[in-house]
Amino acid sequence: MASVIEGEKKVFMTGNEVAAWAALAAGADIMFGYPITPQNEVMHYWTRLAPRYGRKFLQTEDEISAGFTTCGGLQAGCKAFTATAGPGNVLMQEPYGMAEAMRLPLLAIIQQRGGPSSGTVVYSQQEVTLTTYGGNGEGHRIVYSTASHQEIYDYVIKGFNVAWKYRFPTFVMGDGYQAKMRESMVMYDPAARGIELVPANPIIGLSGEIGVDRECVHLCNIYSLEEELYEVLQKMEADYQKMTPEVVEYDARFCEDAEIIVVSHGVVSRAGQDAVKILRAQGFPAGYFRPITLRPFPQEALRKAVENCKKVLVVESALNQLQRLVKENLYDVALEVDALAKPAVGIIADEIVARYKEFRK
Amino acid sequence: MNRGEKSKSISETQGTRIVEAYVGEYASGKSENAVNRALFLAQQGRKVVLVDLDMVEPCYTLRPLKDPLSQLGIEVIAWETKQLIGLGETGMILHPKVPRVLDRPGDIILDIGYGAGGARILNLVNGALTSPELCVLVVINVARPFTSTVEDIVEYIQGIGTVHALINNSHLGDDTDLDIIQLGVRLVTEAARKIGLPVEATVVEEKWQKEIGPVDCMGNPVRTIKRYMVDSFW
Repeated sequence: MASVIEGEKKVFMTGNEVAAWAALAAGADIMFGYPITPQNEVMHYWTRLAPRYGRKFLQTEDEISAGFTTCGGLQAGCKAFTATAGPGNVLMQEPYGMAEAMRLPLLAIIQQRGGPSSGTVVYSQQEVTLTTYGGNGEGHRIVYSTASHQEIYDYVIKGFNVAWKYRFPTFVMGDGYQAKMRESMVMYDPAARGIELVPANPIIGLSGEIGVDRECVHLCNIYSLEEELYEVLQKMEADYQKMTPEVVEYDARFCEDAEIIVVSHGVVSRAGQDAVKILRAQGFPAGYFRPITLRPFPQEALRKAVENCKKVLVVESALNQLQRLVKENLYDVALEVDALAKPAVGIIADEIVARYKEFRK
Repeated sequence: MNRGEKSKSISETQGTRIVEAYVGEYASGKSENAVNRALFLAQQGRKVVLVDLDMVEPCYTLRPLKDPLSQLGIEVIAWETKQLIGLGETGMILHPKVPRVLDRPGDIILDIGYGAGGARILNLVNGALTSPELCVLVVINVARPFTSTVEDIVEYIQGIGTVHALINNSHLGDDTDLDIIQLGVRLVTEAARKIGLPVEATVVEEKWQKEIGPVDCMGNPVRTIKRYMVDSFW
């Protein structure tokens, strides 16, 4: 496949456009989707790019269908992806579950909006629980939480690779702010940076005689007996645990001597990082921790980061969805946990600084 | 008729009014140019009506600037969020002042939204498509991938319909440098020549004024702007 981008190119775009370009650079063959704000421009832009580069697009009748057609495209060996938000993310949980059960390398771009229900089309971090653990039956998935346009580009490319390498559905989760705001970033040809794209191979309809040339491919999401399902789930869990150290990502700064560590993710982590810089400049020993993969969660890294601190301040544009993950992963660690939780509303550094000072009293 | 055949400077337009529509890609700088143009005209003592024609997300560009612009003497026609239910995906209602906005006295500045329909939205403004007053100005930012080469700019312009002039507004937001501005000057001028349209201006933030001068390296006039959209929502 010819390079989409020659070398590197500095551009000025919205996050949704960046996502579409990244999918193109990652070698995506087809997008299946249904419109919902704030991800619409991923689709809109993809429909402008696809004809130029010989890629395809199908708008389905709803998100359930968009998710299942993505599963179908993957089975046929296409690098297929979708994008959605809010109630669309709810509807897609069933096809995501099929991808978990069949180990399909589905890639979904999620741009969180406010809820419940249609909420706002604007912004939130309220789809953390839904995106990380939304399926029925404890399926396994990988969830990246991006903080900038550059990261949307980087992690969409990485997301396709991780999905096709490990065969777990993978999510690149932004939000309405990242989707819509304009920011400069560098687009690049993955090959020029030494990133090898994992090829997409057909999963079903393979050549050769079954039993002679190859094993039967049995994609299954329904089992007759409890024990049969149990055995499959055990293997999935073992595969996921084995994969975790290779996939898990985080960013930790100033944690060694921190009295309080500010934990945040996604776009809020930009405010988190600014707040910690401000606090450090004022003489407060603040630390910064950001999980980049919300699932698998960087448990080991967070436990190490908090070794010397007394308190953790969890900051998020949701009502304690990140906090639940943090508490689960810090269970049995003697720490005081406080939160700056503002569901569906943006958070700026000054608010974090103020809350930090209150919390340390 | 292209922009070159229409009156161009304010001094030449005393007694006549200015009707301009700003069209362009996402993040090209349509709204920023429309707002700055409206303010510039208002500062000349002219009556100015600024119209939000974004039919996809009408509450996000001009709405947050409505009050400050009104205080500066500009009439802003834009929805308030509380007047609507949802945005875009729930269907959009044309603001009742829009269809006959060209009947209003004074200069009219139309900020055309970035929706898939783009400039075609002008068919909802009575008389716009046949108005001898209307100048459609396409705002080009060569840091936008679909308008980053001469060929792409030409193709993009040809897909818009009636266009009277191009504006070079090449930038990288806070990361703007002289290189991207000058690249824009060259590419936009070359594209304009190929299509046979004038370049209305190269537009830069005030901080670049000294280095660029009153005329860019291709002979196009330079206009300076202040960035107001950073106070807008997105």
